[in-house]
Amino acid sequence: MPAGSEPLIPLQWQPVPGCGEARIYPLIRKVDTVSSNSFLVQTSDAIILIDPGGLPAQAAHLASLIQAIQAERALPLVVMLTHGHVDHYVAALSVPLLVDPCTAMVALQEHGVEVVESADRRMTQAEVLGRELAPMRIDLHLLAASNAEGGGEPVRCRYANGVTVTVVQKPMESGLPQEELILGSGPRIEVYHTPGHSADSCCFQIGGLFFTGDLLLAASPGIAGISGWDQEALIRSLDKVRALLSCGGIEVVCLGHGPMLSVKDGARVLEAVQRDARRLTGIAELDPERARQTAAFAEDCMEQVHELFTVMAGRLYYVSHMMEELEETDIARGLHALIRGDVIDDLLDGFDAFNREYHSGGYVPLNLALKGGQVVGKLQRSFNQDELTQIIDPTLVQRAERLLGDYITMLRGFSPPRGIAVHDLRELLEGCIREHTVRSRSDDDVLASTDDDVAFGRMLLARIGMPPLLADTAATVDLGAGPLSVPVDKERFLDLVTYLLEDLVGGGAATIAVRAGREGEAALVTLLGDGCDEPLTCGGKPHRFLYSLCERAGGNLHFTDREGSRWYTIRFTPV
Amino acid sequence: MEITTAERQAVTIVSPAGRIDTVSAPILEQAINQAIERGTRKILLDFSAVSYISSGGLRVLLATAKKLKNPGDRYGLCCLSADVHKIIRLAGFTSIFSIYPSEGEALAGWQ
Repeated sequence: MPAGSEPLIPLQWQPVPGCGEARIYPLIRKVDTVSSNSFLVQTSDAIILIDPGGLPAQAAHLASLIQAIQAERALPLVVMLTHGHVDHYVAALSVPLLVDPCTAMVALQEHGVEVVESADRRMTQAEVLGRELAPMRIDLHLLAASNAEGGGEPVRCRYANGVTVTVVQKPMESGLPQEELILGSGPRIEVYHTPGHSADSCCFQIGGLFFTGDLLLAASPGIAGISGWDQEALIRSLDKVRALLSCGGIEVVCLGHGPMLSVKDGARVLEAVQRDARRLTGIAELDPERARQTAAFAEDCMEQVHELFTVMAGRLYYVSHMMEELEETDIARGLHALIRGDVIDDLLDGFDAFNREYHSGGYVPLNLALKGGQVVGKLQRSFNQDELTQIIDPTLVQRAERLLGDYITMLRGFSPPRGIAVHDLRELLEGCIREHTVRSRSDDDVLASTDDDVAFGRMLLARIGMPPLLADTAATVDLGAGPLSVPVDKERFLDLVTYLLEDLVGGGAATIAVRAGREGEAALVTLLGDGCDEPLTCGGKPHRFLYSLCERAGGNLHFTDREGSRWYTIRFTPV
Repeated sequence: MEITTAERQAVTIVSPAGRIDTVSAPILEQAINQAIERGTRKILLDFSAVSYISSGGLRVLLATAKKLKNPGDRYGLCCLSADVHKIIRLAGFTSIFSIYPSEGEALAGWQ
């Protein structure tokens, strides 16, 4: 096995494990929705191209490699599609060599034949990926029911490009519908039907190589739930493929997207995918409308995440700066490890750049939704939540966690959880205002810690890092008398009030008044800031995210900004 | 990012324009460091053309505060947009350096 992290070397010809003279050229791309990996295999009797991909330049490159072989030996070309999704095959249409019946024989599992030949925009995912599509001819229907009708006898066909294929139906030893393609005396291609990601998904085995198409990505957020996706079939396919990998004979797992894996790593990934797949019961179909909603949520979410993470990192720098002033340089240095500010900045800047291209027409909503998923996943690994909540305002960290979690939930096809229950708004507001007014570490706490260096150090950090939000702002609270009970998502309501208070404090309000009461049947909460700076961006309006957060909390948000006074009114109307 | 530097009333006024992000924060830091290396001990950052600041930008602001903390040194920001001002307030930086509504008010306060 070659050195390095991949079991085979991308973009190089090398021997196919366990296959004598056969060789493989893996064309491995970074993971995206534009194009899959492609694999070119040369045997003594044919050239086998697995998935031409979705990029014309990729198909052109593959065609030049094929032509170079054919200039020396007249080997026929067999194009094998792991499934009929545009990112795996549509580029072939731009290169006649890969689709002309005189030069190529194209094979696909029979459930996908009608889809690809009729250019079905929904089932090929062309619709959700915003891709142009034309019909493509399929010559060989893999695992066709008609083959089984022949009593399992080998079926021998000769195609216009000169290739002769013998199809041998095999007993379902693996638990999967299975057949073998014989192309002369070279290695055989084992074909396994592995539906779930799509009805026509197949895995291929050539010698020690196992090509999985998108089987191992099928439970990923933003991929699970696409048209044709089937959870039960997927779990069954994963289960059987896992058994196949453990049987021996397979050395390398070649994925449809991303780096190749050793069989050991492949089995590990497969196990994780199986776990994920089992949790996906009841997810919504990832159609263009859901992709649009998820993309809009990604934008809103990221706008707020941007602010939260910048403030979190800034606050940590502030604590670190103060510790250096106090000559506690070791503590100051240690703080930098808690949040990877440079990584976070890069991720958020990357999303912004992508979002600008999206708005200029460069991408479709699914692209933005998936980009959001990539960024959110990496953000979740870029800060140490537990440690941070000991040093900076825990509501900042918790809100960031909730926001990122809600996004992944939505991308997976579920609705973000809503905990609507009847609560007394006055009680919630009292607790919230107290939290933002009173220091989390009292003077007595600090004095009590002075005998223990470590405890004192931690106390000092928290004292510096967690000044109450309303420490320097005069706040008046008038919550009236008696309970103000309404159905509300408590956590999201408290998050919302905190965001709004931050907006007023950050906007320079000299005084803040919080009021609650009834107006007819409705319950109203008003936050009024006086002496604010000029309005923030978005034409003076608050982030769109705050309106949707208020809706998720069970209320409606109204905003007025006039001559330095800024009002937020949250209205809960009885259903 | 464009950065202009001017001297007025013995104060170096550094005026960045655009977004202070991962790419431009080191450029701003370099411009400030060059001014300090030339001997200036009074620096005013004019943020009237800054629309956004990242955490990397916040780090540069604090690093500069650390370099200009001797008696007689002066360091501050002026003309902040509402968005940038909000981030700086919420990060707690207003106790580390002064923020002025305009360049004139900063210079008047430093004489």
